[in-house]
Amino acid sequence: MASTATSASTTRDPLEPIPLIQGVQTDESLNTSLLDHVWRSPGKGWWTLFGLALAGLGLLVIGVTVTLWKGIGMWGNNIPVGWAFGIINFVWWIGIGHAGTLISAILLLLQQKWRTSINRFAEAMTLFAVICALLFPLIHTGRPWFAAYWLMPYPSVQGIWPQFKSPLVWDVFAVSTYFTISLLFWFLGLIPDLASLRDSSKKPLQKTIYGMLALGWRGSGRHWAEYKWAYLLLAGLSTPLVLSVHTIVSFDFAVSILPGWHTTVFPPYFVAGAVFSGFAMVVTWMVPARQFLGLKHVVTMKHLENMNKVILATGLMVSYGYAMEHFIAWYSGSQYEFDEFFQVRMRGPMAPVYWLMMFCNVVVPNIFWFKKARTNLLIMWVAALLVNVGMWCERFNIIATSLHRDFLPSKWELYAPTWVDWSIYIGTIGLFSTLFLLFLKFVPAVAVTEVKELRHELAHQAHGHAEEAHG
Amino acid sequence: MSSHDQDPLQDHPEDHARSTPSGNGASSGSPRRISLPIVDEALAATEAASGAVREQRKYWRSIAEKEGSPKLAAAAQREFPPGASELPEVSRRSFMKLFGGGAAAAGLAACHPSDEQAIPFVRRPEEVTPGNALHFATAYGVEGYGLGLVVESHEGRPTKIEGNPDHHDSLGATGRYEQALLQGLYDNDRAKQLKHKDEPLSWHTFLSQMATLSGRHAADGGAKLRFLTEPTASPLQLELRKRILEKFPKAKFTSYSSIAGDGAADGLRLAYGKYVEARHELTRASVIVSLDADFLGEGPESVRAMRQFAGGRLPGAPMNRLYVVEPALTVTGMSADHRLRLRAGDVAGFALALAAELGRRPGFAQLAGIASGGHGVTAGDPKWISAVASDLIKHRGQSLLIAGRRQSAAVHAVVAALNAALDNVGTTVTYATPLLADPLSGPKALAPLAEEIAAGQVDTLVITAYNPAYTAPADLKFDKLLARVPNAIYWAAYEDETAAVSSYVVPAAHALESWGDARATDGTISLVQPLIAPLWGGHTDIEILGAFLGEGDLSAYEVLRRSWAAKQASVPGATGEFDQVWEKWVGDGVIVGTETSPEAALTLDAAAIQQGLGALLAAGPKGAGVEIAFVPDYKVVDGRFANSAWLQELPDPVHKITWDNAALISPAMAKSLGVEVERDNDKFSVLVIEYKDRRVHAPALIAPGHADDSITLALGYGRTGAESVASGVGFNAGVLRGSDAPWFDRGAQVSLATGMHLFGLTQNHWSMENREPAIATSLADFQNPRSEARELLEERRAALPTIHEPHDYSKEQYKWGMAIDLGKCTGCSACIVACQSENNIPTVGRDQVVRGREMQWLRVDRYYSGELEDPEVIVQPLACVHCETAPCEYVCPVNATVHSDEGLNEMVYNRCVGTRYCSNNCPYKVRRFNFLDFTSETPAVRRLGMNPEVTVRSRGVMEKCTYCVQRIERKRIDTRVAGRLIEDGELKTACQQSCPAGAIEFGNLNDLKSRVTKAQADERRYDLLHELGTRPRTAYLARVRNLNPELAKG
Amino acid sequence: MLWARTPYARAMETPVEQPLEFDHRHHTRDEGIDCRYCHNTVDKAPFASIPPTQLCLNCHSQVWNKSPLLEPVRKSFIDNKPLVWNRVYKVPEFVYFNHSIHVGKGVGCVTCHGRVDQMAAVEKQTPLTMGWCLECHRNPEKNLRPVSEVTNMTWHAEGDAEESGRVLAEKNDVHTRTSCTTCHR
Repeated sequence: MASTATSASTTRDPLEPIPLIQGVQTDESLNTSLLDHVWRSPGKGWWTLFGLALAGLGLLVIGVTVTLWKGIGMWGNNIPVGWAFGIINFVWWIGIGHAGTLISAILLLLQQKWRTSINRFAEAMTLFAVICALLFPLIHTGRPWFAAYWLMPYPSVQGIWPQFKSPLVWDVFAVSTYFTISLLFWFLGLIPDLASLRDSSKKPLQKTIYGMLALGWRGSGRHWAEYKWAYLLLAGLSTPLVLSVHTIVSFDFAVSILPGWHTTVFPPYFVAGAVFSGFAMVVTWMVPARQFLGLKHVVTMKHLENMNKVILATGLMVSYGYAMEHFIAWYSGSQYEFDEFFQVRMRGPMAPVYWLMMFCNVVVPNIFWFKKARTNLLIMWVAALLVNVGMWCERFNIIATSLHRDFLPSKWELYAPTWVDWSIYIGTIGLFSTLFLLFLKFVPAVAVTEVKELRHELAHQAHGHAEEAHG
Repeated sequence: MSSHDQDPLQDHPEDHARSTPSGNGASSGSPRRISLPIVDEALAATEAASGAVREQRKYWRSIAEKEGSPKLAAAAQREFPPGASELPEVSRRSFMKLFGGGAAAAGLAACHPSDEQAIPFVRRPEEVTPGNALHFATAYGVEGYGLGLVVESHEGRPTKIEGNPDHHDSLGATGRYEQALLQGLYDNDRAKQLKHKDEPLSWHTFLSQMATLSGRHAADGGAKLRFLTEPTASPLQLELRKRILEKFPKAKFTSYSSIAGDGAADGLRLAYGKYVEARHELTRASVIVSLDADFLGEGPESVRAMRQFAGGRLPGAPMNRLYVVEPALTVTGMSADHRLRLRAGDVAGFALALAAELGRRPGFAQLAGIASGGHGVTAGDPKWISAVASDLIKHRGQSLLIAGRRQSAAVHAVVAALNAALDNVGTTVTYATPLLADPLSGPKALAPLAEEIAAGQVDTLVITAYNPAYTAPADLKFDKLLARVPNAIYWAAYEDETAAVSSYVVPAAHALESWGDARATDGTISLVQPLIAPLWGGHTDIEILGAFLGEGDLSAYEVLRRSWAAKQASVPGATGEFDQVWEKWVGDGVIVGTETSPEAALTLDAAAIQQGLGALLAAGPKGAGVEIAFVPDYKVVDGRFANSAWLQELPDPVHKITWDNAALISPAMAKSLGVEVERDNDKFSVLVIEYKDRRVHAPALIAPGHADDSITLALGYGRTGAESVASGVGFNAGVLRGSDAPWFDRGAQVSLATGMHLFGLTQNHWSMENREPAIATSLADFQNPRSEARELLEERRAALPTIHEPHDYSKEQYKWGMAIDLGKCTGCSACIVACQSENNIPTVGRDQVVRGREMQWLRVDRYYSGELEDPEVIVQPLACVHCETAPCEYVCPVNATVHSDEGLNEMVYNRCVGTRYCSNNCPYKVRRFNFLDFTSETPAVRRLGMNPEVTVRSRGVMEKCTYCVQRIERKRIDTRVAGRLIEDGELKTACQQSCPAGAIEFGNLNDLKSRVTKAQADERRYDLLHELGTRPRTAYLARVRNLNPELAKG
Repeated sequence: MLWARTPYARAMETPVEQPLEFDHRHHTRDEGIDCRYCHNTVDKAPFASIPPTQLCLNCHSQVWNKSPLLEPVRKSFIDNKPLVWNRVYKVPEFVYFNHSIHVGKGVGCVTCHGRVDQMAAVEKQTPLTMGWCLECHRNPEKNLRPVSEVTNMTWHAEGDAEESGRVLAEKNDVHTRTSCTTCHR
């Protein structure tokens, strides 16, 4: 036992300057430390945050009620700006979701060890982000009570079907699939931990609830085998989704003829942007969370640094996307395109949003070229926040700015959001936080089993090294 | 008060509307009573409909339990005294969104049991076929003359106004006011209760009181009896006047309208020694010079003038050339080939300068003499003037000068002299004995009456003129004076400013509820017939005048019929049984052969003009300082239409202002005043304008092409009467207006007030951003096939490369298409109101317009080019262009907008879920969205006037121009039942039918002989945003400017 | 979805109570009065129209003019207050159905309204759903008859209805349309 300890501490993979698990850990120690925050009654910090979140949620309820009661007129939208906050937020939230899927699925397939301690976290984020996103396509319609089912293909007594040429119909399929898969993926990963929660829970009620959720998991070899397969399978399923969902969302714009929307680079650059904003969001939440939940030993600086690297990489892709947009606008020789990018966006009434976007998405990420920045909690946190802002501005630019001045100058109008727009937007952030805080409270924030597994792997490696040393 | 007098649900046995099918496509049948209960049921139905049932089209099938009626009756009770609009069910907001019905959950109705009831007639009038419209001829006018109308009626409810093709002034078209008449008819704010000093009165009591009154006045020959009427040419009115004056020799009649100008009458009197009125014949005019005359935009001749003017704008044939001299851009100014901006006060100088210039040319010595009478008063750019002079000489005998109503007698006299000298008299302009009762009826005409009242010489004043307390020049303090008249009897359309100070308020029957007669500008007489019995028991002015002849209890119908029975002989060719003759007159809407011929031997008295000028000019406005110039508002005129939301929300043709008036100033003046512009070019500083001892706060609006140091102020706003739509809109420019200089004067003090004003403009951007959506070119360029303009046109109609074979529509029976001629279109905007009326388009109110949510399907874009101080202007009507490859269609997720086999871009309201994706993807931005519930709060009475052929759209639904598909389908069915095809010209869209200029052609593109096919094959044809490959069905014809080479820039 | 397809949800096959006992069986079958005598705008207007009271009295001022059953009719005429019937057939507000074109092109009354001549109280016989309308608008042949026979309750095509329909469609130049604005405006 001592030997394992020493070996674990003394012999380290030289290629991993910062370990993925810090300190001397045993299954038990991990169990207790990682499940601890579930059993611990939440502290002041949690309650304050939760209060804030609920307040936000309240705003959402008010905003949505007003919208459904009075109509879209309560928003700032007009003709020509038919879409604004509703769709901006929809795209923004969907984008944020992507980190989760990417981390859990693609990194799993690529067998990236460092994903383990953050994937649960990121998947939850995906789930909640998608829930927020799903809200908008429905409430942004003029008659949601019809939109809810006329967009579904079913043999109606009218003998009409949805119009499959419309990207909005593609969205319905893309997003709902995305949501289902993410939910399954997240829940499946949760089962073993739910089981250990069940086992370690004291009160009978908890035991029953977690018991039910654990679906009678006993951890038998067969269970594990099936589990592994299923998990891998879902990973395989959701991998294409990472690419497809935002590609299809980008079609909402790329398929139209509007200057600033009608752009072939959209699909890849939307996906990059999605991952970009997704990781930014994970960092934004992870930095405080690891602090308060005492996860420092599993969510190490290495994880954060890796995520920052991803942010840097995707940020560069996004920048390239912008560059292409502008280049094509000039190269196409279309006056409408050119004016859109070089007049309306740069100098128009909404130019500030454009420049803010440029700063946040093009300038800020480059700070992660420097290791100091990548490993400094404060810097990365601020940078991540800015990226979130920047990505929201990007959607505002694409949607509202493009719409408010298009082909015929006679129908150019200003756009200004109303209090309802804001309260719904802030409200979704409230919804997201609420769900997230509940998640932090009631289920392990990191995948305990996976971490244990990882520990064993590392320990095994360690043994290997030790023997070499002795021999 | 007996509810009988005002309860629209009571039958009015005496005054059933008698209606006669007109000769204009009316359906068969002899005169019959449209039994009023039909209307009552409709009222009841729509009242009930304000709940769940939103049935508009088949009132007789949708009437729920009779609860409807008592409810409305109760409402009627409460609708008194003023403040009618404060009814609980008719909130201020609901007036912002008039006509409508909405169908929130209509989508489900299809599969739900119907618990509705069906209510047949008891006795169905012979000519009524439920579901088929009838058409009746009548006439209406705001300046004493009547414009011939044909009104569509569904089961006794007038639902649409059209022009009468057989009428001299209408030629089948209408102006904006006529289109909006329905709103005046179905207006809950109308005066409903006959009152004496706020005591309700029955009509019979009123008559007896009038009897005693007239008895008293008869004693002294009516020395203290006065009548204040609108200017009128109505034979019946004149007859009644005559008879009243016979009975009361000392009584006096005064004609008054605040928008009437007296310059013309006086000027022509000076020129010809007696009162005559000018008639203009633009078809013969190849050079037209307007001196501050908006002859295309206002006046009884305007509808006809526009048709004639537009006829001369085709580059194929010899084109006319229009010079306009004016301070602020008008409809006429926007159509000008050359425009000279000049302060209103300097127009006299221009007239004299022009006379002098011509005087220097051989053969016009006489003019030199007249010009010398001006003692060197001159204005205008000499180069410009000499160019115009040469052009006039070149077209001697085919030129025309027109002076505006605002201009003084001096200008009118000089213009008369010029026309005479240029041999235009008898060809482009003729003079006839005035048809109006009084030659003078402008603000000045009111002064003597005011003095008499002030001197206490008036006991009884009968007011049938519009709202003098509000419209009278401020210095007369007429509202105060009226309060002093013991018996001021006001024939009130609304409980307005005048009603508030009159002792008697008699609710007026609306023009569409009245019998009467009217004259066209050439004298042709039209009979005015009611389309519906008075909804709130109003009475006609005929009946009020009749009261002083002891005929008050005779209905206007009786009076009119008697008068015409007597006059039958005087009408050439009107022989035979009177009943049949009467039938024909009423049916046709015109009495052929009643026009009056112009005066033959008139000789111009040059000497008189020469002497007269000095005095006139001296009397006229002079001095330095800022000029204030008043104009009748383009939409609400002098305020009489201020309660019509259609007109309030109609963007004015030049500045696109809705729900407001403004102080129009030139960009330079704005600069010097330090006027700030904020937001999207629609928020301006507020000005304080002081003139004499009077001042007003007026928001500035920068008006390109406006004369410097001059402010144009529109009258008719800042109303304070009990009219919920009108009140609180704009400012009352009238408070600055003096009877000495009612139209313009200098010496106003202008300064910036604190604060800014946000206008509800429907178009904030002036420039075309080098995109040339509306193409204008000079005749020279157009005739040169190598010119850039021609290349642009070619390019904008040439076939585009496409990867898929466009669908072939040539096999279909019909291939609908439209062509809009920018050369003809003046931007008058009658089409917008017509469309609004035909398609049940709601109004949304100022706040929504500010947010960019106006609902009009048809908009008229206005672009400036050249320098802002003195720009060239072009207008472009734009509604859905029905793209063959429509961008809106493929993005709709629910198939709510699709293409018909005949190429219509169809919008299916009941399928729409309101994603607004179609609008985003529409490059023309012609789709309109019901952002809020704009319709369901519509008062029941207003719903009567809605078009039952068009679904009322609910909240959250997209809508747009349909090419009036309801007309297409009805015509298709009628013709197919008859087993034939729709012929070219028998099917018109609402905009096309109302267009005075005839700028819109619509029809079948598969018919090679159709007018639209020919128009689309024109050399000037181009497609809007052609390069996008949308293949629009609406094509445009470029405007060609007939520039004078001497003045052509560059 | 299934609910919407049940006759109940469509208020079908339920005789509708009327304010007075009007019996179509008696008038059409026994008396042999043509539909168009009472519904006399059916061939020239969108609405078949419910007869005005006056029309009832054309006969009933002579026959049964004492019958208590007809009291409401006489009352209506004297008080000039319409008879209020309960609607049986109703399409939604946004649907513009036109009788004249259907009758004019040889679609029989019975095709949509069923054997009214056998109904004591009229009941809704057809679903009036959009799908149902489209069935016929897509291939109308089997529902066509000579225009002279439209009010005939018992007419049947000799031989193949489809075939004779095709001939009639040719003869009456029938062009059924399925563009949305045919019914929705």
